[in-house]
Amino acid sequence: MKNEYIPKPARIISVKEEVDGQRAIKTFRTQFLEPDGFSYRCGQCAMLSVFGKGESMISISSAPHITDYLQFSVLKTGRVTTALHDLEKDDVIGIRGPYGNGFPVEDWKGKNLVFVGGGIGLAPLWSIVHTAIENKDEYGDVMLIYGARSSNDIVYKDELDGLKKKMTIHLSVDNEEPDWKEFVGFVPQNVMDKKPSPENAIAITCGPPVMIKFTIQSLNELGFNDDQIYTTVENKMKCGIGKCGRCNIGEHYVCKHGPVYSWEKLKTMPQEY
Amino acid sequence: MEKVLLKKDLNSWAGKLGSYDIYAPFKSGDVWGYELMENQAEITLDYPNTAIPPKKILFPQREVLFEFEATQEGGMEIREVLPDDTPKIIFGVRSCDARGLAKLGKISQGGIEDVYFTRRRNQTVIAGLACHNPPSPYCFCTSVGGSPHSLEGMDILMTDLGDAYYLESVTEEGVKLMGSAEGIVTDPDDKQKADKEKIHSDSEKKILLDISDMEKINEALSEIFDTGLWDRESLSCLRCGICTFSCPVCHCFDVNDEIIRTHPLKGKRVRTWDNCQFPDFTMHSSGHNPRSDKASRLRQRVMHKFRYFNENCEEFLCTGCGRCIEKCPVGIDIVEVLEKAKTYEK
Repeated sequence: MKNEYIPKPARIISVKEEVDGQRAIKTFRTQFLEPDGFSYRCGQCAMLSVFGKGESMISISSAPHITDYLQFSVLKTGRVTTALHDLEKDDVIGIRGPYGNGFPVEDWKGKNLVFVGGGIGLAPLWSIVHTAIENKDEYGDVMLIYGARSSNDIVYKDELDGLKKKMTIHLSVDNEEPDWKEFVGFVPQNVMDKKPSPENAIAITCGPPVMIKFTIQSLNELGFNDDQIYTTVENKMKCGIGKCGRCNIGEHYVCKHGPVYSWEKLKTMPQEY
Repeated sequence: MEKVLLKKDLNSWAGKLGSYDIYAPFKSGDVWGYELMENQAEITLDYPNTAIPPKKILFPQREVLFEFEATQEGGMEIREVLPDDTPKIIFGVRSCDARGLAKLGKISQGGIEDVYFTRRRNQTVIAGLACHNPPSPYCFCTSVGGSPHSLEGMDILMTDLGDAYYLESVTEEGVKLMGSAEGIVTDPDDKQKADKEKIHSDSEKKILLDISDMEKINEALSEIFDTGLWDRESLSCLRCGICTFSCPVCHCFDVNDEIIRTHPLKGKRVRTWDNCQFPDFTMHSSGHNPRSDKASRLRQRVMHKFRYFNENCEEFLCTGCGRCIEKCPVGIDIVEVLEKAKTYEK
């Protein structure tokens, strides 16, 4: 019988400092010490162990077609994520999973995809962004509207520059900065400014709860129906398999039934997220 | 299989079960609890009910999931720690608590299986005991689909006939266990059968609490999510957690690493009972808390038991044992809350 609580040891093969300072973000690439049949879908998560500190549920930010590493971008917040930030290349962590439903990518084939992210909220979108670009023929136009508090808080900066050739990218920062040439203001305002078309489109948004709330209002205003809007939810988790009892929103366990919900579904659920 | 065992022979039967770990009710001070019996002659089933339900035997309050240790070569060795495989018998489990174990089984073994619970459950035989009189004035098993002599979760149901126990096997495991009493037990006569039936039907009538219209509770609860009822009912809550600690089906847990500070890369991953009434149960590391007040936490406990679990498994996550009512230091009464929920005017 498989024991779901046992993590598989994995080595950190690279650490990239995305954002420094108070809201530090690092991107870790990992490889299992022993070959593992770990396969996953876009939007799924994994439970990361820092041995001696505990576990934390982190979204997988690499795309499923990449097979030589798993990537996680982590905001330094609590005990485990702080400990993760202290780790270096060649250190060993534990990984179990994948968990959650992931994005319904099959249903989105042939549609235009509008990604709306804020801060670390780009990480859960990153696997589907890459998958959509990699399989360009299967999807329509791909647009990313992404913002952070300041230019220092933007993740995947180098990659974003390179991706501009392959997709439409609109960036924003909350406040004026000397060399900033793109939009200044909050992400939902940038959505209203760029006016993505709801025609044959799906909008996927992830970021701080308040950003998601107003982004959905903006999207509704632009004509997106609730079933065209998807978001990901996070709640505190300990098990990942719907047993420890804390990540539930009503009868739904975010670890198992989520983290991806259409707004049509989520708006009928209790606001316990 | 149905047999009759004279009370004076209970301990000689237990004496034949040397290959099992035997758990039975044991009184320590004023409190009954399940203990591993060192001496089979000490087993007594003359008790009301235990303070803490037998879930602790299958789902201990603290258990090690695995041990880890960094290796010389720069890897990490992980040693799974499984429960020992000694077969167990739990004597005297009341019908509410046996149903509780069955419900815990649905949670632990539904979907991705919990290896630790399953391993313990598969090696445990439940020899339960029907209630003559409700062990507590707060018993309400009959309101939540149970009864003082429910067979759910039992391998054997025992009924006290005065000088003897009436034994009914429920599962193959029960038949096997009763087989070990051959030579000590006798076949029941008609009077004993009739006595047992009468005890069972009388016992149902003695339950004091009765919640009407339980089939409508799911709908009633769905309509009062955002109301002041929860503020009012939770006002006196001390967040002590005794309601979930003493509950036969509450199963929420925490997972943490235990290390010695001098050896930070050698330690144990440990699971412990946790509690939905504690404020930090759902608190994100950012400080954001989806259930940040007492009202939302009491609502979660009630909704989980009578609505959410009902949605997922079509039954209540409550066995009506009454412990949470009896033990709450400030008198929060789940039956009263349900009654108010049914009639709440928005």
